[in-house]
Amino acid sequence: MKYQPRALIAEITHRCPLHCVYCSNPTEMRRRSDELSTADWISIFQQAAEMGILQLHLTGGEPLARTDLTELVRAARAAQLYSNLITSGAGLDGGRLDELVAAGVDHIQLSFQDSQEGPANEFAGTRSHALKLRMAEIIRRRPVAFTVNMVVHRRNLDRLEEMIAFAEGTGARRLEIANVQYYGWALRNREGLLPTREQLEHSIQVVEAARERLKGKLRIEFVLPDYYAKYPKPCMNGWGHQQLLIDPSGRALPCHAAMVIPGLDFPNARERDLRWIWEESPTFNRFRDESWMPEPCRSCDRRARDFGGCRCQAFLLTGDAAATDPVCTLAPQHSIVEEILERVNGSARPDWVYRIDPA
Amino acid sequence: MSELERNRVPRLAPGCRLNPAGGAEDLLLIPEGALRLKGPARAIVELCDGQRTLAEIISELQRTYPTAQPARIETEAVALLARLRDRGVLEVA
Repeated sequence: MKYQPRALIAEITHRCPLHCVYCSNPTEMRRRSDELSTADWISIFQQAAEMGILQLHLTGGEPLARTDLTELVRAARAAQLYSNLITSGAGLDGGRLDELVAAGVDHIQLSFQDSQEGPANEFAGTRSHALKLRMAEIIRRRPVAFTVNMVVHRRNLDRLEEMIAFAEGTGARRLEIANVQYYGWALRNREGLLPTREQLEHSIQVVEAARERLKGKLRIEFVLPDYYAKYPKPCMNGWGHQQLLIDPSGRALPCHAAMVIPGLDFPNARERDLRWIWEESPTFNRFRDESWMPEPCRSCDRRARDFGGCRCQAFLLTGDAAATDPVCTLAPQHSIVEEILERVNGSARPDWVYRIDPA
Repeated sequence: MSELERNRVPRLAPGCRLNPAGGAEDLLLIPEGALRLKGPARAIVELCDGQRTLAEIISELQRTYPTAQPARIETEAVALLARLRDRGVLEVA
């Protein structure tokens, strides 16, 4: 295989008791009645392992909303996949956690919306912070890798130092500080979420100092908001290069947000085998090599490093999925991003909109 | 990077494990992905079972690879394990 897939992102449900203002799920979510069965998922895991995929990310929505999660984890381990459970903690308790650990879950990533209960519950649109704290308490006592993920944005980035200290207290060994990415529901709330330039610069210093202080104790990953970057992010490490996402209804996508791109036919894992989807499907091949690239990407030295940026973002901001990602300072349409940043760094402070759960 | 003491007992951190032996490549699976293990690295990691001290691991390797220079085995094993510890993949009790 020219492109060796390494990770399968299994969005096993879109159901979730939280209503985060920056939810990355598509604005049109899959209903429960459309969800794949246990047997469908197990077949997908086996096919993935046969293709050389190593990592399985069990995500959602809230993956614990599926009552067959333990069975899915057991099947993933039997197929020799490494399983990461990406969760809000809602739906977990000691007994269920023991079952998951016994079934072979390797890594649990627990999200927090803030270090303080009031804002955390406000951002999540639910009272979930206290529960998450209790879940951290039980996860840290189990033989499983434990990462805390803290989502940061304009309304909490100034408290980053406090949030890092909070994460230290959870007993996690890894901390992901992730700036909101502007896809799905988060895009609707972008102006209320994007940090100011000043906030961002301060946060970079805070993280550098914390990394130094916590070396060997807590490993910190920091995801910056790409709107402020000079060059675009190497989205998914290239379209159809390493990662494959299956949505709750079985549709295969090269990334979380790809559904927004018009004119792509997303193959369904109920009807096609994974290898065909990966190797042959027009959608996975659409932006895979360099032939789709416009200038300045086509002759850019960085094209093999960042692949022209994110196709979904190019579409969302310019209306053309084959345009250079406009966050790139070399992009012909970079002014779109500059205008957004100008507004964000001005005085406006818009409100946000909460999403509701699918039926 | 501090030196590893020979009487300490290393073992893989929770959520870090070797892929099954005999595959196309030797990999150490970790939360962020996988580390490719080259040459004798897999054999070294396999000995980090939470029972053996570093000194015992080194002697064991020297017995397994009798034709290699003993001092070189020691340097390589210590360097690999220190790197894994600094990466948070190995715990040292």
